[in-house]
This record gives sequence, C-alpha cells and structure tokens, in this order.
Amino acid sequence: MNYMPGTASLIQDIDKKHLVLLRDGRTLIGYLRSIDQFANLVLHQTVERIHVGKKYGDIPRGIFVVRGENVVLLGEIDLEKESDTPLQQVSIEEILEVQRVEQQAKQESEKLKVQALKERGLSIPRADTLDEY
Amino acid sequence: MAEGGGASRPVILEDYFMTEEFLLDKTSEEDEIDLYNNLTFTSTAYLEESETKTLAADPVEAPVNGLEEVVSVGEEAGHSETAEEQLMLEDVLEDESHHTEPQLAYEATEEMGEEEMDVVEQEEEDRTSKEAEEQNDLGDPAVMKAVRGQFASEAKWAPRPRLFHRASLSRLSDCRTPSFAPWESVWGVAGKENHTEAASKSDLWNSALRRASSRSAVEQSPMMSDSMRSPYPFTLPRRTRRVFSLNRTSGYASPSFRPLFPNVTSPTWPMTRSLEPLFFSPSASSQHKFSLPTAMTQLHPLHQRILTQRQQRGGEKKRIPYVEPQPTGTDPYEALMTSLEKDWVIKVQMMQLQSENPQRDDYYYQEYYRKLERKQAQKGGRKHEVPKLITPYIQKVETYESVVRIPGSLGQVAVSTCYSPRRAIDAVHHIPLEQAVGNQRLQVLYQIEKMYLQLLDIEDIQQKLVLAPEEQHSHFCEKLAHEVGHIYQTLRIEGCNNDCNNKEEAKDEFLQILLVGKGKRLVARLLPHLSQEQAKQVLLTITRHLPFLIQKDLLDETLPVLYSPLGDVVEQLTFSEMVNILQELTRLQPDSVKYSLMTIFGNKFAVSLLYLLLSHGESCLSSSMPLELNSGDFEKWVDMVLLVAKELSQVSKDSRVEPLYLPSNLLFLFCRYVDKETVNRLDVKME
Repeated sequence: MNYMPGTASLIQDIDKKHLVLLRDGRTLIGYLRSIDQFANLVLHQTVERIHVGKKYGDIPRGIFVVRGENVVLLGEIDLEKESDTPLQQVSIEEILEVQRVEQQAKQESEKLKVQALKERGLSIPRADTLDEY
Repeated sequence: MAEGGGASRPVILEDYFMTEEFLLDKTSEEDEIDLYNNLTFTSTAYLEESETKTLAADPVEAPVNGLEEVVSVGEEAGHSETAEEQLMLEDVLEDESHHTEPQLAYEATEEMGEEEMDVVEQEEEDRTSKEAEEQNDLGDPAVMKAVRGQFASEAKWAPRPRLFHRASLSRLSDCRTPSFAPWESVWGVAGKENHTEAASKSDLWNSALRRASSRSAVEQSPMMSDSMRSPYPFTLPRRTRRVFSLNRTSGYASPSFRPLFPNVTSPTWPMTRSLEPLFFSPSASSQHKFSLPTAMTQLHPLHQRILTQRQQRGGEKKRIPYVEPQPTGTDPYEALMTSLEKDWVIKVQMMQLQSENPQRDDYYYQEYYRKLERKQAQKGGRKHEVPKLITPYIQKVETYESVVRIPGSLGQVAVSTCYSPRRAIDAVHHIPLEQAVGNQRLQVLYQIEKMYLQLLDIEDIQQKLVLAPEEQHSHFCEKLAHEVGHIYQTLRIEGCNNDCNNKEEAKDEFLQILLVGKGKRLVARLLPHLSQEQAKQVLLTITRHLPFLIQKDLLDETLPVLYSPLGDVVEQLTFSEMVNILQELTRLQPDSVKYSLMTIFGNKFAVSLLYLLLSHGESCLSSSMPLELNSGDFEKWVDMVLLVAKELSQVSKDSRVEPLYLPSNLLFLFCRYVDKETVNRLDVKME
C-alpha cells in the first residue's frame, strides 16, 4: 500500500526480472536496470516472448531501451514460479512460423469481415486511422 | 561509444583510488601507460574503421558488445604498431594532458584538476597547470574521441583486477556474457607481445587487488562494484562522471534530502554515504546552490507517515526478502542505476507533491487518503493508530519558481507542480472598492465575495487545526477566533436589531447580504464557526426579518440552506430564549398574530423553523433537565402552542406548505395542550 509518487515507485523494482507489454503488442522480459521520471526503461538480458496459443518462444534481444510512453504494462516476474507454466517453449523458428500463420488467419478473417460489411453497405474504420482521433 | 566515456576516466580514478595510494609501482605503471597509449592512440582512424567493420560483421552481437569491440580493436591496432611506441610516447603524453585540461576547467576546481593530473601522469604535473589555459584548440574531434577512448582503456587497468578476481570467476563459467572475450584477448595480446610487460602488469593488478579489497569505503560504493564496470567498460565512467558533476555542481543530494530516504530504499540499493566524503567538495557545493529552497526537499508528510508506518510494522520482515532473491554475488549487473540516480528520480517525482498546503493543493488525494484511513479504522481488527499528521511540513516557501531547475540535468526538467496551473487561476482581479461605491448592490456583492474568501480561510484554518499537533492548537484557535470575529463584525448584525422599520430593512447591510443567494450560503456556512451568542443573534435577526426575507426569497428560494445550521443553533437555545424567538415569530406582522402565522405557514423555511422551535421546546420540557423558567415563560409557551395549534387546524390545505422536516414529537406536544378533536384534525393535516 505504501508507494512513492509516479515512476519513483518503480525504483523498488529495479534489478528484478520484469515483463513489459508494449503498445505495439510486443512482450519483453528482462531485468529492469534503470528508469527515469518518464518511465523510460532500460531492460537487460531482454528476450522478446511471443505467445501463440499454448506455445511460446523467446527471441534474445539484449539490452532494450524502452521509451516510457510505449509501456502498457509492467510487472515483476517471480523467479521461483517462473518455470511452472502450462505453456510449452518452442524454438524461435517454430514460434515465428506459428505466429505468421496466426497472423495470416487473422488477416483473412479480417478481410472477410470487411468484405461482408461492405456488401451490407457498411464500413468499419481501419485500426490505424482510429489512432489519430 | 568511446567518446564521452573517456572524458570521465580520470575522475573515476581519482575518486576511487586516491592518488597517493594509486601510485604504487611508479615505474611499471608508467611503462604500462606508455604501452597502452601507443596501443590505442596510434590507431585512431584504424579504430573507427575497424569498429564499423566488426559491427557490420557481427550485427546481432553488436548492440551488446560494441563497447568491448572497441577495446579489442584497439588491441589489434596496438599489436600491429608496437614498433612505433617509443617514438610516439612523448606526443601521447602531451596529448593526454591536453585532453584532461578542458574538463578540469569545466569542473571548476583547481585542486581537483591537480589530483586528476596525478592520476594521469605524475611527471606532467607542473607542465599541465601552465597549459591549462590554452587547451581549447584540440583540432580534429575525431582525434579527441579516440584519445578519450584510449584514455578510458588506460584507466581501466586499475579496476580490472577486481573484475577478474571475483566477477570473472562467476561469469566465465557461463560464457553467455560475451563481454569477456575482449578482456581475455587483452591478456593474450599483452602476453604475446611483451612478456615482461605482462608480468609487471599482473604485479600491478595483484597489488591493486590488494588495495581494493583493503579499502572498505571503495568496496561499498555502488560505483565500484565490479558488476558495474565489467560489462561496460566504456560507458560506465560517463555515468559516473555525470553523477559526479551533478553532485558537485548542484548539491543536488543535499544532506537534508538524503536522510529522509533510507527507509524508502530497498536494501539492494547501496547507500551512497560512504561516497560522500569523496564526492562532496564543500567549496563547489556552496557556490552552486540548488535552485529550490531547502524546505522543498522534504518528503511529503503522507509518504513520511506511510513509510514510518511501514517500517513500524515489520519493516525488517519485509526487507529481508528483497535481499534474498538476489544476493550481490549472483547478479553482477545490479546497481547499474546508482542510488544517486534513484534519488534524483524520486526527487523529481516528489517535487510534484511539494506543497505548502496539501489540503488545498492536493485535495483529492488527501480526501482519498482520509477515506482509506476511515475504512481501515472501521475494519478495526489489529490495533489501529493513525499517527497525526505533523503540521505543514513546508513551513515557508520563500520563492516561487515556476520552472524547476536541477543543475546537471539536461534541458528543462519536465515536472508539473501544484503551482503551475494554479498560479494562472489566481490571476483574478477583484473589483476595486471605489468602483462599487454608489451602487449598493455591487458593494454588497463585493462584500460577500470578500467575506467568502475569509470564510474559506477560516475553514482552512479549521482543517489545519484538526491536523495540527497539540502545542499549536492554541495558536490556531486564536487565529480562528480572530478571523471569525472579523467576519462577524463585517456582517453588522447588531445594527439591524435596533429598529424594525420596514424602510430601514431595505438598507440594512446584513439583510442585504441575506437577500443574495450566495450571502445566504455564506451565513449558513459561517454559522457553525460562530460562538453561541453570535449564532443566536443571527437566528434572532433572521427571525425578526422573516417576512422581508420571505418576500425577497420568492424567486430563488434559497432560504432553506439556512435551515440545518439554524437547527443546530436552535438545539442550543434555553427554554426562555426559545420562547422569545417564538414570540418574535408571532409578532412578525404588527397587525395580527393570525396574519403572521399565516405568513409562516405559507413558507417552507418559516414553517420548518417554527416546527423546529416547538419541537425543541417540547424536548426541553420532556427532558429530565431542570428548567430555569423565568416568570411567565411557561404561560407564554402554553399560549403559543395553543395559538399555533388553533391556527394550524384552521388553515386551509393550499395555504399551507410542507415543512422541510417534520419533527416526530410535535403531535405529542399538541396532545398535551389541545383537545382531542383539534389533535385529530392536526394529525390529518400534518400527515
């Protein structure tokens, strides 16, 4: 319950393993090494973790400097419980492949949806144009 | 990568290895420096070129390893050009002194400069001070970069033994950390190239190692921890340097600030205390004052409280787990962010909460926190004691600075304080009184405005009074009484009680105030602060002038705001006072009692007030408290009750309004004095 104002509360979390969810949907896992008042982060020994279904894969990324505004979510990882997960780790190639397939499927369904809406005379704004307002 | 990093190298050496101690083995060190100078310096262009080459060759590793690659490249270069080293020696040494000089000037302390010189090279000592003024023409920036980088690597000699000694043992085993390879190659190159050189080197390292381990202050300092220098031999110094200059030039980590934080720090933070003697040059810190008043550098009281609370309830228990998961040995990279930097972040964030008057500036948080506390108190459970807040923790902020300046930080520090938006709002001009003269209504409005501000002040004081420690209570009480007295004077209530003339009423100031909605609200809000006598006076005045007020209140109907504060006043009345006021009510219209009661029944506020008074009389009589009855009071009371009952039973439904609140004991009251038939009729009417 006791906390410091703003990003100062993150100082207690420094040098601990963290999971960071970025605005673009990427998930990073690494040791939080440094922060500042904007919640800019420096992650160390970072891996980018890709989850698809029950599978996940880690892509080593080294040091990651994150601009604070891109952080959606940040949480400490309990090192003791880290390993007992129902998820299954796979190789990078495999996870990338699976991800590609998933994205393709998503695009397909998206296309179908837009098509269907078009036929009914409707249109949904594209996601990237939504951002601007 | 190399630039910038090198600039601070001498500073580091100076900091951590005090000059005298560092100069252990003079001859071997000099040799070493010479060698190293040549190894790296002679290869400026080569260095950059091959650096890009290696980066390109190994793109994946580059981001992590780039730093180390500079070293290895430098070594390659040195390898190929060892023949020239003797020739180059003099130039190099000169150049070195050149490059350290501007920095010294920047640091602005003479003795600092000299110490740095000592570290760099002793034989140059006297010459450098002469040259100090003419060091600006450094020519090719690329050369400078290289020299700095080379510097960095040279300065690396001393700390490295430690690195090898401890960190390497743990880390060499898991070779995921690629940063080690270059260092190993340093060994290799040196060995191949010159065996005696290497031998003397290892001698030096051993001695340095001994020194390092024997100096506890250095050991403790966060900057020195091997974890910090090993992975990033080049970038680290820049960080340190920055912190360093920050500290010296700004006095940022002012002593008044620091001691507040130990309880905040998690134990993984190394405390900087041991560094302070090294870092603090009093002359420098006194020259550059931190631009905010020292009072600003304190913790928010709530945080202070929270922190002390946390410490009290098993702070020890909580803290240990922080240490356990990462003992210093296992995570060599920890404490990359020094506690100075952490403090800086905390400070920047805390600055937003600085306020002389958190009750006003930080209203929502304060209320929220109070709510939390109340909830906690309701839950009870474990022993709950809420320590009282210590007075305003900033006694006085002498200057208001719209822009927060922290020397040493680049650009403007982006913080918003509670002042920034508020100051703009405060730029409100009150109408000067002169303009209002001649227009009574304007003047009244102005008066109300002024009194309202006073009232807000009073409420502020009241709030502070609640939170203030015991010894300041009397001070606040005095202040409060003075303010309230002042407002009461301004209301000029006494003036309007002397004459009940209708024409005078229109001019009376207090009544004028009551005619304005905000004025009524003002009086309603003021009533709880007034003394009993003053409050009764207000009640009496309002009662006397009810018809006038009712007549003027038809439009906005704001009289009811006065009901509940007046109700509190009525509660305090003695029986005879109450009877007096009741009589006033029946005398509202000079012509007839009946007519005045009709007026009362026709107005929500008035009828509510009447009921309230009757109810109070009833509870006075029925309570066991002995009544001090003046002669004739009781008779008057009975008369009054009968009169009201009679009128009330006769009044038609549409000329009577519902009261704001119907006291439950009124019927009992009437039962006692009135016959049954009337009571029944009353019962129906009052339902």
